[in-house]
Amino acid sequence: MFWDWDFAISITPTLLQGLKITILATVLGAIVAAVLGLVFAILRRSTNRLISRTTGFVVEFIRGTPLLVQLYFIFYILPDFGLRLPPLTAGVIGMGLHYATYFSEVYRGGIESVARGQWEAARAGNLNPRQTWVHVILPQAIPPMIPAMANYLLAMFKETPLLTAITVMEMMSQARSVANTSYRYVEPMTLVGVFFLIISIFSVFGLRWLERKFGGRAR
Amino acid sequence: MKSYMIAALLVAAPLPALADKLEDLREQGFARIAIANEPPFTSVASDGKVSGAGPDVAREVFKRLGIDDVEASISEYGAMIPSLQAGRVDAVTAGLFMKPERCAAVAYSQPILCDAEALLVPAGNPKGFESYADIAADDSATMGAPGGGTEEKLALDAGVPRDRVIVVPDAQSGLKMLQDGRIDVYSLPVLSLNDLLAKSGDSNLEVFAPVKDAPVYCDGAAFNQRDTDLRDAFDVELAKLKESGEFAAIIEPYGFSAEAAISTDRDTLCAQE
Repeated sequence: MFWDWDFAISITPTLLQGLKITILATVLGAIVAAVLGLVFAILRRSTNRLISRTTGFVVEFIRGTPLLVQLYFIFYILPDFGLRLPPLTAGVIGMGLHYATYFSEVYRGGIESVARGQWEAARAGNLNPRQTWVHVILPQAIPPMIPAMANYLLAMFKETPLLTAITVMEMMSQARSVANTSYRYVEPMTLVGVFFLIISIFSVFGLRWLERKFGGRAR
Repeated sequence: MKSYMIAALLVAAPLPALADKLEDLREQGFARIAIANEPPFTSVASDGKVSGAGPDVAREVFKRLGIDDVEASISEYGAMIPSLQAGRVDAVTAGLFMKPERCAAVAYSQPILCDAEALLVPAGNPKGFESYADIAADDSATMGAPGGGTEEKLALDAGVPRDRVIVVPDAQSGLKMLQDGRIDVYSLPVLSLNDLLAKSGDSNLEVFAPVKDAPVYCDGAAFNQRDTDLRDAFDVELAKLKESGEFAAIIEPYGFSAEAAISTDRDTLCAQE
């Protein structure tokens, strides 16, 4: 097996097509995860034991089962119950839901790191729960979470090839489809690795920047 | 055991000069084959027993070559030739139909299993698909096919755009996707779809066969191009099986036509687009 530049160049546009889907799935999945994760974290802190216990169970359940199994459920089994999602939507929901449980733990850590006195001060200042969260707790809890969140974002990005199983044509699927007709793995797989690496390296720079800007600083 | 094997070998005689590969496999006692799980070509029972027409023929031929058994690993069609080239398996016996570009990549034995292409569609064939060109002509139609399989290639060649040919990981997923309405048609060889439909027991689906304008294909056992000696030895035993009628006895219960494989040869099939 040797490296064939002409072949590598000829398949690059196809792989870039896949890369677009990979990035799209990651970004949309991250948005779902960030929002849902916050909801999980707040519900878990609810003083109503029924709500907090149920949320806790759901989070542990999702966190304790593999993403691939969840994707199969969402894509192949939910249609039996009348819910038929397009592949990309199913993938975004699957990844978003899965990572929401990790994100919720990050949020929990961030929220718990806010000094108890802040809660007491908010109550003393006669703020209602919404004001307490929006103006006191979250502004202090979120900045220290950013590096951990960015790490999960990167992990999510690298897990997108799992979406092949539910027929999403992301970069890995495109590479395999190229290999299927050319019988060559060297170029497609190397290029997929390189593209992932390039994006990851840029993300790491971005991550460092975020860390410098927000890391550990309490407002 | 070993002397018995050598004796069997001598009796089996006029074998061509044997390559090291064949010796190695005899020593090892088994040959590694790549299969899919697509009855009746290849199938794996729930207890793990490997059968299907492809592995059964391969097992018999290898036995005659002094290799006691086959060890099968399930793989996707697209991964078979690369794993053959990487030396992960010794042969592919999975209904991998002969086509010019595959013939250029591997060393095929003489033809073994022949079949035409078919379409699995909702009962009554509401969209009236009879060929891949019909699917290409309907802008809203999506078709499922195994990645790297013959059907995918035929559909793309017939002008079905890439985004309407959904790469389905396995037959069960293809069936489920059709039942769920995710795809309008699922294409596999005739016997595979008949088997799939019979097992699913779904009366809302039907098989349209053979697909118009799609040729009849035959597979062969595929070997690494370095192992042409092994391939040649395989061919000698395969020809004897065909002659004695044992070949027909193995594949006909699965629904394949022995006559179809005997009446053609590798060179013809490799030239057929």
